[in-house]
Parts: sequence; structure tokens; C-alpha cells
Amino acid sequence: MLELSGLEVRYGTVPAVRGLDLSVGRGEIVGLIGPNGAGKSTTLHAIMGAVRPSAGDIRLSGSSIRGRPPEQVVRAGIALVPEGRRIFSELTVEENLRLGLSGRRSKVGAAEAVERVCELFPVVRESRRRQAGLLSGGQQQQLAIGRALVAEPDVLLLDEPSLGLAPTVVNAVFEALEAIRTRGVTILLVEQRAQRTVAVADRTYVISNGELRMTLGPEDAGDTSRMVEAYFGGS
Amino acid sequence: MSGRRDLVELIGPVLVLVIVGAIGSMGFVDPALEVEFRGALVSVAIVVALYVFVGNSGVISFGHVSFVAVGAFAAGVMTIPVELKPTITPGLFSLLGEHSVGNAASLVLAAVVGGVFALLVGVPLMRLSGLAAGIATFAVLGVTYNILNNWTKIGPGPLTLTTVPETTGLLQATVGATAVVTAAFAYQRSRYGRKLRASREDPAAASATGIHIHRERLWAFALSGALSGFAGGLFVHAAGTLQARDVYLDLTFLTLAMLVVGGVGSLWGAVVGALAVSALDSFLLRAESGEIGAVNDVLGKPLWGGSRLVGVAVFMAVILVLLPNGLTRGREFKVPRLRHAGQPDTAA
Amino acid sequence: MTEDVQVFVDAIALGSIYALMAVGIGLVFGVLRLVNFAYGQLIMAGAYALALTNDQPVLLSIALCFGVVLALSLAMEFAAFRPLRRASPTTMLVATFAISYLLQNIALVRFGAIGKIVVVIPKLSEPVTIGGVHIRWITIVTILVAIAVFAALTLLLTRTTIGLQMRAASIDSQTARLLGVRANAVITTAVLISGVIAAIVAVILPMAVPERLLVSPDYALRETIIVLVGVVVGGIDRLLTATLGGFTMGLAVGLLSGFLPSTGTWPFTSSVYLDGAVFMLVIIVLLLRPEGLFVRGRRAAVERV
Repeated sequence: MLELSGLEVRYGTVPAVRGLDLSVGRGEIVGLIGPNGAGKSTTLHAIMGAVRPSAGDIRLSGSSIRGRPPEQVVRAGIALVPEGRRIFSELTVEENLRLGLSGRRSKVGAAEAVERVCELFPVVRESRRRQAGLLSGGQQQQLAIGRALVAEPDVLLLDEPSLGLAPTVVNAVFEALEAIRTRGVTILLVEQRAQRTVAVADRTYVISNGELRMTLGPEDAGDTSRMVEAYFGGS
Repeated sequence: MSGRRDLVELIGPVLVLVIVGAIGSMGFVDPALEVEFRGALVSVAIVVALYVFVGNSGVISFGHVSFVAVGAFAAGVMTIPVELKPTITPGLFSLLGEHSVGNAASLVLAAVVGGVFALLVGVPLMRLSGLAAGIATFAVLGVTYNILNNWTKIGPGPLTLTTVPETTGLLQATVGATAVVTAAFAYQRSRYGRKLRASREDPAAASATGIHIHRERLWAFALSGALSGFAGGLFVHAAGTLQARDVYLDLTFLTLAMLVVGGVGSLWGAVVGALAVSALDSFLLRAESGEIGAVNDVLGKPLWGGSRLVGVAVFMAVILVLLPNGLTRGREFKVPRLRHAGQPDTAA
Repeated sequence: MTEDVQVFVDAIALGSIYALMAVGIGLVFGVLRLVNFAYGQLIMAGAYALALTNDQPVLLSIALCFGVVLALSLAMEFAAFRPLRRASPTTMLVATFAISYLLQNIALVRFGAIGKIVVVIPKLSEPVTIGGVHIRWITIVTILVAIAVFAALTLLLTRTTIGLQMRAASIDSQTARLLGVRANAVITTAVLISGVIAAIVAVILPMAVPERLLVSPDYALRETIIVLVGVVVGGIDRLLTATLGGFTMGLAVGLLSGFLPSTGTWPFTSSVYLDGAVFMLVIIVLLLRPEGLFVRGRRAAVERV
């Protein structure tokens, strides 16, 4: 469904991502892990069109979306839950959700989409009128995911959703991912928590220094030596 | 540290100034053109004075012309003949009204007045950055203009200051501009200049290494004010007359345009910008009075009156869009030559 | 006593006009992070449109005014704001300063320096007596129009989708775009609303402020400068604080001009020093609260060293 081939992204002269090949099949949960600064966030931003790749291609359902601005990428069917959640603190929860509707491909069905998100994350419905900045970290994360989901994307990108969250909340987030998959959304998950990601994903890519190091399956979840090798091995 | 190679960055601009001055004083140039050459050199002084602060600190100052203004009025008021003061500047404080000074003294006075004023204004203002700094310095300009335009105890007020000795000939203009350029160069090569530049790049890091940003900015501001005042003295002695309006918004715009067009970050940029815009201005002035044959042919008549500033503004806008870092891209003067392997590139 | 009330009411009207201008400037700043020095030129263009159609029916004149101002706003957006979107704040400031000068001088070349009379609705300049106080109709109209505009704008921003998108873009334009908010639509909307407000001011200003009866190339320049200063003083980050800043400046100017004596030998003691006094107040406020007079908490577009 989503395919990256030979992706290269530079910040000035510094390459953040080099020659990355990656694919996400329909209905899959695919993980992307690696040490800090490996280029994980950059990859997501490149898919969304927030940064321009210097080489390579990004394909959604076969057609290239490389170089398109974010507004168009969202309308093509990809939504991002940004790192650090980036919710609009001064706006209400409801307003945050309504903003997510901006990326919908069709006005029809907006109310239903909001309903479905409220079912998935009840806290969103309860605190509808509250200022989003007053929610807890975990609640904000749910709001951020919900905000992306109301656009009814085909592919959901998540950038470190468990960052800064308490363990029980992290559980809730990972469970929600399964629920989202059953609704037919394909997921590309960037995470720091390597083991949990490897366990929940159908396939996990490990990148380091901008390059793909190895691919892991759920069976590797307990094998820390492989991961250490992936993170730190090679040059 | 600074070596012989770096001196090129000073000698280059100075040489250009001297050449300009020399051309202007050659016999075949008509007197009207000489005025414009003088004007260009005085502009260099004003713009370089502004650069000393803006270029090194990265903080925009919309009010710098206030220092040019106080310097100009100080030099002007104190050099008109004492007998004429009751007519031209009635109401002056007796200390000012009963004395006069010579040319050189007036320039020194202008520099001192500019520097002290800048110091006073700078102490509170240098805490601000960005937008607040810009607006605050603009407010200073507003206050200065308002006072100079009305307070008859220190100047002519709403009247025009006339009979100022026109001692800024090509020699004084060239020497004056060279002096300002040299002072700017000395400052940016000094410890203080380098510290300030460090803070421009990364205030947090600079602070962390013990650079007292507020203090460094203040010194630069005061030096810049003194140089601006001095340039104001050159200005009034070139013009012979002075009104508060001459040192207000139009001059502010022109000075900023010159600096931005040349390139905010370098001394060479300030010089290039001032000369380039002055040249354009002169060209347009002549085009307006029908002296440029090519323009007459294209338009069928001389350029429309008043379009000088339009031309300058358009030029400035175009440069800003195409070359955001100005004509010199913010780089200092360099003699183009082959680089030997292993030798470091001297950047400003 | 009644004279004082008169001064006060006039000051509120002036504050309302400045507040309107502040909104116009603040809206564009919010979505573009661009301070439009040339805002006053929009008002100038509108006033010239009115002046040149003095002999036409009022409604036609006003319609033309709106047309000219909106066209010029869009022109500014396409020719200047879009290319400069990635530039540094300093460059943008200087660029709009240049545009302001460009437009002033174009007007100078085209129309000359001598002012032209703008006559819109002469009836409004007549006074009405309320409780012993003489107030011109235009003063009341100004305040009412300003309130109406603010109410309409508040409704737009809080109840409509585009308004929500504009608010979001003002807070975090990157994330807004990532959610699918169309940047161009938001910016153009802000520019158009800003233009409409400029047109409204162009219609009201010649009647409300006696010195502004004549339009010249530097029309509304002084007001723009004072409003810009007020917006920064109030707190440019938020529309509300920016507007309050503009209003406060207008109020201060109105009160000072009403209560300062007309002669005095020392600076700031008479009405010729009005501008100077206002700017001095600005400097003092900026020193005490550089982040903005009405700003609560830390959020600021301005850093302290």
C-alpha cells in the first residue's frame, strides 16, 4: 500500500535518511525503530510532504506522492500523529477534532467518523468542551490519534506515541492500535520502545544513521542481542 | 587571529572609497555630479555606522537615524555664526547661543552627542530583541523627531537651519567615510566585536560561555551611535541646511535599503549597498531631468518626477526577493585568487 | 465637565479606529508572521478612491473604495507576501517597509503631494446633543461599526470552519498543514478580511478625524506607525491582546491631544509633543513588559536577553 524506495532526505548537506526501502502492506502494522537521530521522524515527515526528499520515491497504492504538499498527502489518504502530539492547547478538544476533519476526502460521513473516534477513545467525548491543554499526557495522545483518525485515512503514521507516557497508558495506546487496524487502517509506527513494537507489529524495520539495518518479525521480540546489533552494529 | 590577509577586508573598501573621492574631484566632472559623489560618501558613513550595530548584533534598529539627527543638529547649530543665531535659532539656551566651534570640533561634538545619546537610550533598550527592539528603536526615532522639530531651546525647531558652513568637500567626505569604515573594521575584529557576533549566532550558547550579551550590545550600540552622530556632522556640513524632516523617515528608509541591498552581515556589504543605491539614485535623478538619452528614447520623455524613491524601493524589493542576503551575500571584501592547498578560507 | 466627556468619547472613537486597524494587522500577522508596514497604504488607496469619486453617488463611491482596497490587498499578497514567506522576520519587516514607501511614492507621482478632499456622508459630521454633550454622529457610528466588526469577526473565528483553521494556523501552522488545512485558503481569507477592515477605516477616517479630511500620499502613515507600535505593546501574538494594544494607543492619543495644553516650552508639556509623549509611553511600557501589556503568562513573540 505504502512504498518507499531509495528514499534520501538531507538537511542542508547532512543526510538524515539514505537509500531507505520500506513497504507497508494493506491492513498491516509495520514498525520503524532505531536510536535517536536515526531518521525515523524524518521519514514520516518526508511521507507527509513536510520535508522534500532529495532522492527516491514514495508511492501510495502505486502512484507517487513524492513532493506533494501536506494538504494533498492528507487528502490522498495518509494522516500523521506528530511527535509530541502537537495538539492545540488553547483550543477545545472538540475544536481539535474538528480540525482533523479538514483533511477528509469527503464531507459526507464526518459526524459518523467523529462518533467512531469517541467510541474508541471515550475520554474524547467526556472532555469535549475542555481546553485541550488541560488533559493529561495520555488523554492528549488519544486526542491526537483521534484527530488523525477523523480524516478517515487509509494509512496512519504515528511518531513515537508512547513518548513521555506512563506504562499503563502505553498499554492503552498499543491496544488502541489493534483496534484501529481492525477498522481497516494500515499503520506505520515509529517508536522508541523497541520490544513492544516488534511484538505488536507484523514487521519491524530497524534504521540507524539513516539507513535500514535489518528487518525483524514478532518472533524476534525476545531476542535483545539482534536488536542491539541492529542499533549499534556496522557503520 | 587577525593577520595581514584580513587587512584586505579593510583596504578593499577604503580603496574603493578613495577612488570614488578621486573621481569626484577630477576636473572634468561637473559641480552637480560632485555633490552626488559627496552625498554617496556621506551615505557610506551613515550606513556603515548603522551596520556596526545591526550587522554585528543581528538586532534591527529602526531608530538609528535619531543619532544621525542629533549629531547633525549639534554640529550644525554650533557652527553657524553667533551673530546669526538669534535669527535662525531664536530661543536657544544661552550656552548654545553664545558660542560657536570650528569644523573639526563640530564633528567631534557630533560624535560625542551621538554616542552619549545612544548610550542613554541603549541602557534600557538593549534588553529587548526582535520585534520589540525594532519597535522600541522606532519609538526613539519618533520622540527624537518630535523634539527636534519643536524644541526651540536646542535647535531651530520647525524652522530650517541654514548658513551651516559647507566644509564637507570631497576630501572631508572621503576621509570621514574612511574613518568610519576603519572604526567599524577595528571593532568587528576586536574581542568585543567577536563576542557580539557569537551572540548573534546563538544567544544561549554565547551566554553560557560568559558573554554578557546586554553589555556587548550596549557598547556596539554606543559606538554605532557615535559613528552615526559623526556621520550626521558630515551630513550637515555637506548640505549646508537642515530640517528635522531631512533626518527622519525618508533617510531611515534609504539607509535601511542601502544596508539590506548590500548585505546586512558584512562591512563590505554596507559600503557596496550605499554606493550602489546612491548610484541608482543619481541615475534616476538625471533620468528625471532628461539627461539620460537612453531613457528619453525608451520612454519618449524624461522619467516621471518623483519616481526616484519608487525606483529605489523597487530595486530594494527585487534584491530582497532574489538575493535575501544582499549583493555581497553577507561576505567581506576578498581579492579573488587561487587558494593554496591546506590554507584555511578566511570568512568574516 | 461636558468638555471632558466629549474628549473622552472622541478618544474612545479614535481608539476604536485604531483597534480596527490593529485587527487588520494582527490577522495577517497571525497566519503569516508578517508585520505589514504597508497597511496604511491600503487605507490611503481607499481614501483616494473615495476622493476621486466625490461627485458620484455615495454607495458607488464606497463600493469602489472596497474594490480598490481588496484588489490592492490581494496584489500585495501575491506579489510580496507569498515570495517572502520563508524569509527572516527582519527581511519581512524591511520588505513591507519598502512596499509602503513604494506605494506612497507611486501615489505622489500620480496624484501629487497636495491633499484631495474626501467627502463621504456629510450628514455624519453634524453634531447631536445627548445629555448636554455635543457628539458628532460619526463618533457614534464609528464606535458602533467597530463593535459590529468585532462581533462579526468573533463569530467567524469561533463558529466557522475557516475561522477555526485560521486560529489553528496562528497557533501552529506546521501542524495545521499536516492535518490538511489549506495554507493558501487560510492566508487569502485573512488578507481579504484585513482588506475589508482597511476599506471600512478608509470610509470612516476622513469623517472621524478632522485632520484626515484630506488624502495625501502619506495618508494613515502616522496612524499605522502608532497602531503597529500599539500592537506590539499590547502583545502581537494574540488577536485579542493586539487589538487591545491598538485601542489603548488610540485612547491615549485621543486623551492626550484633548488634555495637553496647546503651548509649552519644554518637551511633552504641550500638544505639539503629542507624538513624542505617546512614543515615550510606548518605550516605557516595552521596557516594563516586553512580552506585551495585556499578555498573561509566558507566551511571547519576543525574547528577553
